[in-house]
Amino acid sequence: MTSSDVTLYHWEPNANSGKPMLTLIEKGVAFNSHYLDLLSFDQHKPEYLAINPMGTIPAMTHGGRLLNESTAMMEYVEEAFPGPSMMPDDPVDRWRVRWWMKYLDQWLCPSFSMIGWSIFIGPQVRARDPEELKAAIDRIPLPERRTAWRKAIYGLFSEEELAESTRRVMLGIAKLEEALGQREYLGSDQYSLADINCFNSAYGLPSMQPDDVNDAKTPNIMRWLRAVARRPAVRETWTYSRVPRFAERIIPLIEEAA
Amino acid sequence: MALTLYHGEPTGPSLTVLAALFESGLQADLHPIDLAMAERHGGAVPRAFEVDYSVEGEGSVLVVGGQAMSDSVFIGCYLDDAAPGCGLRPTDPYARWEMMAWCRWMIERVAPGAAALANIAWTTPRLAALDDASFEQMVAPIASQDLAVRWRDTRAGSLSDEHRAASEARVREATQKIEDRLEGRDWLMGAFSLADLESYAWVAPMRDLLPDAFADKPRLAAWLERVEARPSVQRAFAQARSAEPAHAFAPGPEINRWG
Repeated sequence: MTSSDVTLYHWEPNANSGKPMLTLIEKGVAFNSHYLDLLSFDQHKPEYLAINPMGTIPAMTHGGRLLNESTAMMEYVEEAFPGPSMMPDDPVDRWRVRWWMKYLDQWLCPSFSMIGWSIFIGPQVRARDPEELKAAIDRIPLPERRTAWRKAIYGLFSEEELAESTRRVMLGIAKLEEALGQREYLGSDQYSLADINCFNSAYGLPSMQPDDVNDAKTPNIMRWLRAVARRPAVRETWTYSRVPRFAERIIPLIEEAA
Repeated sequence: MALTLYHGEPTGPSLTVLAALFESGLQADLHPIDLAMAERHGGAVPRAFEVDYSVEGEGSVLVVGGQAMSDSVFIGCYLDDAAPGCGLRPTDPYARWEMMAWCRWMIERVAPGAAALANIAWTTPRLAALDDASFEQMVAPIASQDLAVRWRDTRAGSLSDEHRAASEARVREATQKIEDRLEGRDWLMGAFSLADLESYAWVAPMRDLLPDAFADKPRLAAWLERVEARPSVQRAFAQARSAEPAHAFAPGPEINRWG
């Protein structure tokens, strides 16, 4: 199979959608881009469910085969295509890369999203027609995703849950700073899938939490963010953005790092 | 390079790691610890940020060249990387993706449910038998605040009706998915892999708690026997120090906060 057999179904080039996209671009793999508007619930429409029955974004097809689960997709892209290696050679370093991806996917990034949804995205989505929203939720195929979307759309997070997410974000920032003080990149001294994973959720920290993430308090995070932002592949992913409010958070970092 | 493994009883994540180690053929010094008495958080076991904050909760710790490693699936990947060709992971990239996506589902969706049910049934009585001072002294070194909360909840025996129902539903979903997956094959990925060990380690102990989830599933029953018959799994079972090793759980992964 050749690389032109690859189609990536994605939303904005950040968070989960950005993970396989940046990996593909770093590896030099050509792909067809299929943009889905997450906030219009394109991912739960029949034409997409015919491709990815889980109704999750991102997904990828390579030849006739479907792949989902963004972190597992990144490892697939790394192993299935030639190009620069996005995993270190040492088995212990490889373990650390995978450990960080799980810590991000399951512990830290859900807290970022909970705060992001409660402050920015939820209020906007709630401005839509209530009947349309209810129908959109009813179309979600996975029951656990239906629960998560209901919480996000109607802002059903308790004060305790939001406080816990804030605690996790602050602890996560401190642990990232420590880890990046020990090594040049997140999992090892080599740029890897862990950096791709983390950057796609962390690039907005200096603009969204300037009192917590800055050159004085978190010099290692700032050094690392600039090092990743300088990569041509990162700039290229943002050519796939259609929502200015997302691009506005990263373009200053990319310009400044360059 | 010298490997040192601190492991709990052969159930849950410790069973996966012990059996994966034996599958890999690598040599390690084995040190049994009592995970339910928080022995991972003090004494001889080396501390590391990645162990203290393991998303898996309490599990084995493999020490290699000064790095203490946690999380059974990734320790399994390490063993496969360190002993290429040992068969813990398929070599084809798509088959590997399938295996990692399966394991992700197992650790993110099934394990929190199985751990919640196992702990409330088997760990709560052990912790409740401790007096307050002994318990507090035992959990004091736990660095992760949310893991410490799960320890306290386990001792108190708190599991909401909603979480119990969700946990049982995940176990039922897992046994059905395994039964369906095994149509026309002996192992979950076709050939034997780490996915069989990880899935067995979380699902098999549920036979004692939710027997109906296993009823009328002949392929699941045959697979459970097939996994148990593997020499690596037999050797892992032989590490047991207690009468009911399958019940020797300790606070595990949290139930997803997003539902």
